[in-house]
Amino acid sequence: MRYIVLLVLGMTAFFTHAQSVNKQSSEIATANPQSNGTANQSGENNLLGLPSVPIPANNPQTPAKIELGDKLFHDKRFSVDGTVSCAKCHDDKLAFTDGMAVSVGHNGLTGTRNAPTVLNAAFNQFQFWDGREPDLEGQSKQPLINPVEHGLAKYEPILKIIRTDSYYPAAFQSVFGISSEKVTIDHVAKAIASFERTLVSGDSPFDRYYFKGQSDAMTDAQIRGLNLFVNQGRCVSCHIIEKDQALFTDGRFHNIGIGINQIQQDIPRLTKAFLEAKNKGGNVDVMVLSDKKSSELGRFAVTDELSQIGAFKTPTLRNVELTAPYMHDGSLLTLKDVMIHYNNGGVTKSGDRVNDFLSGGIRPLNLTDAQLEDLVAFMKALTSSKFSPKDASPAPTQAANRKRNSL
Amino acid sequence: MSNYHQKSIAYCFGLMAFAVTGSSRADEFTDADLQRYQQQFMATVAEGRELWISPKLGSNGVACAQCHPNAANTHPETYPKFQKQLGKVVPLWEMINWCLRNPLEGQPLAADDPKMTALQAYVTYERRGVKLEPGKH
Amino acid sequence: MNTLNNSRRNFMKNVGALALGSTLPFSLVELAFAESDQNFTFAYISDAHLQHIKGTRFVRTWDRGLIRAVAETNLLTPKPDFVIFGGDLAQLGSKAELDHGTEILSALNTKVHHVMGEHDYYLDLGEYWEKLFGPQYYSFDHKGVHFIILNSIRTYDDWTFKRWPTSEQRMLEMAGLDNPNGSPFMVGEEQRKWLKSDLAKINKNTPVVVFSHSPLQKIYKGWNFWTEDAEQIQALLKPFKKVSVIYGHVHQIQYNQIGNISFNSVMATAWPWPYPQSYAQAEQYLPKLTVPMNRADPFFDRDATGWQFINLANGRVDLNYTLYNNANRIVRYNTKKKRPEDSAYQGEDARIPPQTHY
Repeated sequence: MRYIVLLVLGMTAFFTHAQSVNKQSSEIATANPQSNGTANQSGENNLLGLPSVPIPANNPQTPAKIELGDKLFHDKRFSVDGTVSCAKCHDDKLAFTDGMAVSVGHNGLTGTRNAPTVLNAAFNQFQFWDGREPDLEGQSKQPLINPVEHGLAKYEPILKIIRTDSYYPAAFQSVFGISSEKVTIDHVAKAIASFERTLVSGDSPFDRYYFKGQSDAMTDAQIRGLNLFVNQGRCVSCHIIEKDQALFTDGRFHNIGIGINQIQQDIPRLTKAFLEAKNKGGNVDVMVLSDKKSSELGRFAVTDELSQIGAFKTPTLRNVELTAPYMHDGSLLTLKDVMIHYNNGGVTKSGDRVNDFLSGGIRPLNLTDAQLEDLVAFMKALTSSKFSPKDASPAPTQAANRKRNSL
Repeated sequence: MSNYHQKSIAYCFGLMAFAVTGSSRADEFTDADLQRYQQQFMATVAEGRELWISPKLGSNGVACAQCHPNAANTHPETYPKFQKQLGKVVPLWEMINWCLRNPLEGQPLAADDPKMTALQAYVTYERRGVKLEPGKH
Repeated sequence: MNTLNNSRRNFMKNVGALALGSTLPFSLVELAFAESDQNFTFAYISDAHLQHIKGTRFVRTWDRGLIRAVAETNLLTPKPDFVIFGGDLAQLGSKAELDHGTEILSALNTKVHHVMGEHDYYLDLGEYWEKLFGPQYYSFDHKGVHFIILNSIRTYDDWTFKRWPTSEQRMLEMAGLDNPNGSPFMVGEEQRKWLKSDLAKINKNTPVVVFSHSPLQKIYKGWNFWTEDAEQIQALLKPFKKVSVIYGHVHQIQYNQIGNISFNSVMATAWPWPYPQSYAQAEQYLPKLTVPMNRADPFFDRDATGWQFINLANGRVDLNYTLYNNANRIVRYNTKKKRPEDSAYQGEDARIPPQTHY
């Protein structure tokens, strides 16, 4: 009898050992779910939750270029009346937006679109709400010559300022190896884009909860909100979360019933007129920003595809708490308004007529008010712990240091 | 080796020999058993088929078979896999639940719900013979 | 993409009345235009499968699919000469569904011709459908082209009249695509007789376009991608130089050439179907030429659904598939190779991963 007991004990001991080996290796696996980016001096990982920043081969990052781009980004002289720099609508202190429904350019002129944040724009496959530029370089050139933004007729005034400035000629020489006579707007664009590529920030409470397994990083409401986000709310269909990173955008264009609902009757006339104007050589950038109704056509204005009428780019949700008001026309003032709009299935006021071109993914969600509040709470878990440039660039730059000292 | 040790080893071997040659054998089954087990499985497959064509799985009358005749295009052999808009790697039953919630506008089933088992039995049965390719998109 | 260049603008002047997709169909210039005023466009919307739940509730996503197709068709410039509705307006053939469909289609700003689908037919054998839309099969002529509409979803009389205790049961049985109790589609003797006499009046050089719900080919019997008397219909069409068949029912892109006949399927507005080759337990064949549509991404209700507009130039059709969340496709008759081809993806090396179905 004793020996049967021995046998049984022996086998038990064997199995327990095997299990503990398994447990150990799985613990190791979860301890390092991902390790994107390098930890900064304080030991935090600012890129937690983000992939590495895509850098185009023809525009590598250097500290000098970033510093130059920073200066260009903040230079108000690059406008018709000397008051508009990129930072006017993409204000460092307002998470690189301007807190307004639609932006205001020179002489108080308004456009039709809400200024998107520059934070994490480096990850976008398309820039602008309608995706009309494929990269940061291309985007940076358009507002300069838009009649309601910087208001310049052409780039020459900018290049003149650069040539005669006290700082720029030496900077361009050092960065691009060219004399100031040879500087083109593309050099300017490259420098600005380089600077913008340092404006990336992850490491939000969500990132720490989801990718680092810190179960106390989010509140209970936020955890419920995350659950709704990926299940009943269907948000994750377009605001992508993946296993080891979360960009919160699919990079696609969808009609979710904002803005277009007001012009439903006008669509036949507008699409026809738009196509005719384009045939005659009209410029999309000018047309969409100067005419509110045309602006609502969205991606259609760029691709002429009927199936993209009223479709706009899915923006990232990172730092969304700081970038009110919301949507391409800034028409939704609070995050709760946003949730209500989605819950209604693509209309802001419940019972309104859904527009015919609504994206297939949008439908009434039947969420309760408490659930909508949970989703709003979750949105607040997406704010980066830091988003100042100093943490994202490879080495601290003089400009960043100056900014830090002045805060 | 001590006398005690020798004896205990001998006893252990004896025990094992007894286990091997005795009438209380390890899990043995006959042809009749196999037939019976197969029938029970096929009954579950049949239940799965009933659910597959039923308008009552969801809340809007849509049946799985409307988009997936003979469970085609369900690709059970590729699960678990990364499903882009679920944001993670999921096994087959979680994808079935996505369909129940969304196109069928219904409620999800627990992983061990007999209905879920039946659905999975049907889906895999219609796909029998196809080699496993977990992770394939 | 912001501005059209000069050559495109000039081309648009010469093309005349044809509608353009989002990409300019440059290879249209390869077709010799005999008389350009005989070239025209019509739109094709098909397989809406409006499904009644209860009271005034219908399945939302099928509704949205049809609504969207109608809205976009209305924006087509230049306006199409007519619209074909390719069948399966209803899911279970009920009056509520057919009325609901009529209401949505009434927003179209062009004349609509209807083709019968099995989901419309098997509840009351087309009685209410006829009241709404007219005869179940007929022909008409338009700008030098002879159009024929067939009811090609009939089946053996035995199954239709004697097999089922109620008409509701009969409709339910035919509604299941993979239902082993189903019965193969056919045009049937009555229509074949009519077709023969109708074609006898037509000159062999007149382009003929046939609208049918079932494929008028034998593709996969298990899912009724099948017409039992396909060979007989094809034989009746054989003497004509330019014949195109456009069919619905399959909810996917298919195209083929059999002898002198070009076959083209249209997309559904409701939902996409798998290709037969993705059913592992059966042998079937997919028209060889077909480059499959991009695999449906199930997370977007409208993915792999759509509508199409068809340009008829010089007696041949080119189908412009307008797809959502998906690359649009153009399938055009290649006059050198004498068969329909995809304008972008026909070559083996031009395929993209979403076009692999398994």
